[in-house]
Order: sequence, then C-alpha cells, then structure tokens
Amino acid sequence: MNPALDVQHISKAYGKKQAVNDVSFQIGEGEIFGLMGMNGAGKTTILRMLATLLHPDSGDAFIAGHSITKEPELVRANISYLPDEAGAYRSMTGRKYLQFIAGLYFKEDAEQKACVALGEEICGLGDALNRKISTYSRGMTRKLVLARTVMPKPRLAILDEPTSGLDVLNSLDIRKTIRRCAEEYGTAFLLSSHHMQEISTTADRCAIMKDGVFLAEGTPQELLAKYEAVTLEEVFERAVTGV
Amino acid sequence: MMHLLRKELSELINKQMLLGLFGTLLLIILMGVIMTNTVSESLEVSGELHIVDMDDTDFSKQILSALKEDGYTIETCEKSDDLAQLMDSMKWDEAAIITEGFTKSVLEEKRAGEIYNVSALKSTTSMSAMLAENTSADAITEKVQELLMEQTLGDNMEFLAEPVTSTPFTVANGKEAQVNSSLLVSSLSLFDKLMPLVLFMLIVLTSQTIITAVGAEKSDKTLETLLASPVPRGHIIGAKMLAALIVAVIYAVTYGVGFLVTMVLTVSGTGENVDLGEAVTGMAQMAQATTALGLQIPMWGWGLVIVQLMLTIGIALMSSIILGALVQDAKGSQTASLPILVCAMFPYILSMVSDIRHMEGMAQIVMYAIPFTHTFAATSCLRFHDMPLFWGGLAYQAVFLIVMTALALKLYQSDILFIGMPKRRKKNET
Repeated sequence: MNPALDVQHISKAYGKKQAVNDVSFQIGEGEIFGLMGMNGAGKTTILRMLATLLHPDSGDAFIAGHSITKEPELVRANISYLPDEAGAYRSMTGRKYLQFIAGLYFKEDAEQKACVALGEEICGLGDALNRKISTYSRGMTRKLVLARTVMPKPRLAILDEPTSGLDVLNSLDIRKTIRRCAEEYGTAFLLSSHHMQEISTTADRCAIMKDGVFLAEGTPQELLAKYEAVTLEEVFERAVTGV
Repeated sequence: MMHLLRKELSELINKQMLLGLFGTLLLIILMGVIMTNTVSESLEVSGELHIVDMDDTDFSKQILSALKEDGYTIETCEKSDDLAQLMDSMKWDEAAIITEGFTKSVLEEKRAGEIYNVSALKSTTSMSAMLAENTSADAITEKVQELLMEQTLGDNMEFLAEPVTSTPFTVANGKEAQVNSSLLVSSLSLFDKLMPLVLFMLIVLTSQTIITAVGAEKSDKTLETLLASPVPRGHIIGAKMLAALIVAVIYAVTYGVGFLVTMVLTVSGTGENVDLGEAVTGMAQMAQATTALGLQIPMWGWGLVIVQLMLTIGIALMSSIILGALVQDAKGSQTASLPILVCAMFPYILSMVSDIRHMEGMAQIVMYAIPFTHTFAATSCLRFHDMPLFWGGLAYQAVFLIVMTALALKLYQSDILFIGMPKRRKKNET
C-alpha cells in the first residue's frame, strides 16, 4: 500500500531566497508528523506545496500515490488543508458551514449527511452550531475548522499551526481530536507548529527545519536521544544553533 | 498631538492613495481635453450659417447679404430637393432652406414665409442635439424681422412678431423626416441614456462585489481552503462570477426600473397637467419618425446589444477576479477596483455628452482600447448603421474576454495568488 505521503527531493525558491531545499520524507497511514522550525524556516511553503497551492521548482510529492505536480485534482480528493489562522464564512452558522464543506467533498446526500454528523461530533460545539460563526470565539472557530478538515476522513490532513493563538484547554482539545482522528480513521497528519510541547505530545515523528532544509528527523524519543536532551526545546535549540 | 497626526497621515497617505489620486487627476485632465475639443467643435460652427436659397429673389439675397454684414460666414449650395443628400454632401449639421415663394408671402401677402429647419442627426447625445440646433433658421428669422421693421415700421405688429414659419426636418441614415431633432433626441435618449447608466452600475457593482469577496476570502484564508478542496478551480471562479452577476442584475433591474419611472414622470410632467392623448400622439409621431429615419433598432439588434452587455459584464467580472486575486488586504480591495471604475466611468460620461464614434486621433484610440466603450457606443452604432464599428467592437470584446478568462484561470493555478507578484514576494511567507 502507498504511504499517505511520500515527499521526494522537493525544492522551492522565492526569487533568490531558497524557501525549501531538497526535502524528502514520508508519512504512513494514521501517522502524525510534526514540522518544527522558526518563522521563515520553510514549513508553510512545504504545506502549501503539498496542498497543491504552490508549485515546487523541483522534486515531487505523492499523496495516496498521486503526484502533486501531475495529478493535483486527484491529490486534492485525498487531502484536507487547514491554513494558519484560517477563518470560516462568518455569515454562515456553524452547521451550514460544515454542510457547505461536506458538499465540496461528497456528491451523495447520504455521504454529506454522514460527513456533517462526524464534523458536528468532532467539533463538539453542540447548539452553538446553530449560531452564526461571527458570534464564535477564536477557540470555537478553530474547533469548527479543524472538524471540517478531518470530517471528510482524508488520507492526509495538512494543518498549519493548528493551535496558534489558543488557550491551553482549547489547544489540548485540538490535540486530542488530532490523535483520535489518526487512530480511528487512519488519517495521516502533517502539522507545523512552534510549540515543542504540542509536537512531543501529539506527533509520532517530527522534523526540525531551518532555512528550507531538515536538520533532524525522527520520533521525539529518537531526537531526544540523538541530541542528549530532556525536552524537545533543547533538541530544537541544539539542532538550530548547532551548539 | 503632532506625533499622533504624523501617524494618522502616514496611515492615510500611502502608495495606493497616491496612485488613486494621480489616476483620478489624469482622468479629469483627459476628460477636460476631450470635452474641450468637443465644445470647441460646436463653438467653431456657431458663427457659420448654412443656407439654401430656393426662393432666389432680391429680398432673399438681401437677407443673406445682411447676415454677412453682421459677421456671419454663410455657406450655401445649389438648390436640392433631397435634404438627406444635401446635408450629407455638404457635411452640414444644420441648415435653413428658404422655400420658393418666401418673398411673396412675406412682402406681398403679409403672412409668414416658410423656411425649413434641417438638422442632420449623427448621434442621440445632447451634444449632438446642440450641434444640430437650428442656428441658421434662427438667424434668418431675426434678420427678416429687422428688415421688415426698417421697411414697415409700426405696421401690423402681429405679423412682424412672427414673419417666418419654421418647418423642422431631421435627416439621418440618408433619410429625412418632418420632425424636430431635439424632440427626437429627447425621445430616443430616454433609453439611450438609461442603458449606459445601468451598464455603468453593473460594471461597478459586479467588480466591487467580486474584488471585495475575493479579498475577504484571501484575508480569511477561506480561499486556500476552497482551492485545496476537490472542486475544479473553474467552478470556484465560475460560481463567484455568477453570484456577482446575479446580484448585479438584481441591483441593475431595480435601479433601472426606478430611473425609468423617474424619467418617464419627468418627461410627461406631474400628472395633473398631462394630456394623455396628446402624449400618446406625440410618442406615436416620434416612433414614426424614428422608423422613417432608420433609427429604430430591430429585435436582432437588441439581441446583439444584450450579447455585448453580457460580454462587458464578463470582462468586468474576469478583470475583478484577477485584481481581487492580487489584493493583499482589505485596504487593497478598495483601490483595486479603481482601474475598472476609471475604464467604465470614462466611456460612460463621454457617452452622456458626446458620441464616442465621432472622436478623433489619440482620444479615439484610447477610448476604443477600453473594452467597455463598445457597449456604451452600441445603440449609437446600431441606430446610425455603423456596423463595421459595432462588429469590430463585439469581436474585440469577445477576444478580450477570452484572454481575461485564460489569464484568470492561469492566475488561479499559479503561485502568484498566494505569494503575490514577483517583486512583492515576502520573505516571511515561508
């Protein structure tokens, strides 16, 4: 069976700035892969390329066996993307929004209903789903958009900073949801984050990026051992600074 | 205080604001140049009279001599019964024809002599009506009054008050009809003025709706969600365009009906003073004259106008889709529609006062390069049988729309949508 994601020597430059440079990695079914790095490390560029929003200059990536450069339509049928600080249509109610997103992924009415039911269950917003999104708090909106990301049960869910700007409890809820969806539906997750704690508690494997390249890659335990560190923060510091 | 003022000014005065200001200034100057040319044209001809003396008597010659002495330049020609051919061959906008027996009526029978006021109608704009005003006929009437006053002072004041009867004729498309050109222009321009207004509103509303919608989707990052979903990008663009079009049509129909009712009420008076029978008769006469002059637009013509209208809206929508995609934030949305607004406002205002078809030189090239111009000039082209220009405009719009559609589709497949134009790419995008 194909891995959920197989990235092969992918590169991308913005003018003279090499944003991503010859990066390769794989993510298996139901695996959670965390990308760590400072601002400008190249995390969002990788995610956007895999979401078929940006074109790689060289290399390729395969999602469920489909090339992001040659078969973007088939890739999009197998992914779901949550941009950093993504909002939702504020004039819609939460339920209407989930129905709208389900309509993008499924044609059959029964499939759409099942998808929406799952979304409602995942977000846990209850009666608030009948309210307009404009009345939602930041945490509620984030739960809603995470639910819409995972409810179509994509092969690969791409999440850019899924908990940025959220309080501890909301962040914990989001992390639990990610873990649960990976285990129950076999969805593979690729998520970027600044929070080492988030990566260490959520991701099965992770990579540290700097200037468009992977400095280190492995399970959190492997990285801790490799850098003789106690926390991922220490791993990150040693990998990035080289000290 | 100064510290805060500096901050507020630096927020308000930015590149986009200056660009908009500069663009508007250019627009106003260009409009001024074009308007000046048009007004100069009308002023140039105001000192010139076009008179055909069919009476050919000492009195009629005396009238012409007296007018020359008053400083008028008089252009005349051989007698002709074909008014349309006469106006066309002489390239006159207006003329007065002193009819045979004029002198006999005035000097012997002491009753008003007849002259024909002939107006060559070349467009249905107010400026055209102004150019076609009966300057020559008015000058003759004044001069006859003067001459009669000198000869028969104090005798039959009633006759002296109106010694000339003017019979209005309008020529257009090589045909003539006994109708006052100003009244005819008024009746035709009821629709010809309404259509540009509705078209202008459609362009502005659709473009602003689309640019704002795309800008909001970009800033909320819902556009990224949509574009990463398993929906063809053509469908995303198509749905946006169609929605904007439907909303714009609702607006346009509502406003259009409102303006139409207002214009009809304005034309027909307050209601109490209107003689309905007279109004209907007047409208029927105008309709007959319109048909006689070949100014009526046939059904297939209206069909073509609707096609052109759709092409124009399509171009506005596609341009907006492209501009909206290049917008970086909400502030950008406000100024992004400026190019479309300018391109719509230019031909709209000009079509109100002048006929774009009769412009010359660089101004005409600039105007024809704006795809919206051809729709604003469509009814004029059809009424005055300028079919090469109409078909050319239609073809140009179709090609323009195809190019814009291809560009929009290409843009929505490209990186530019998310990282901007090459020179504006930001390093922190990574």
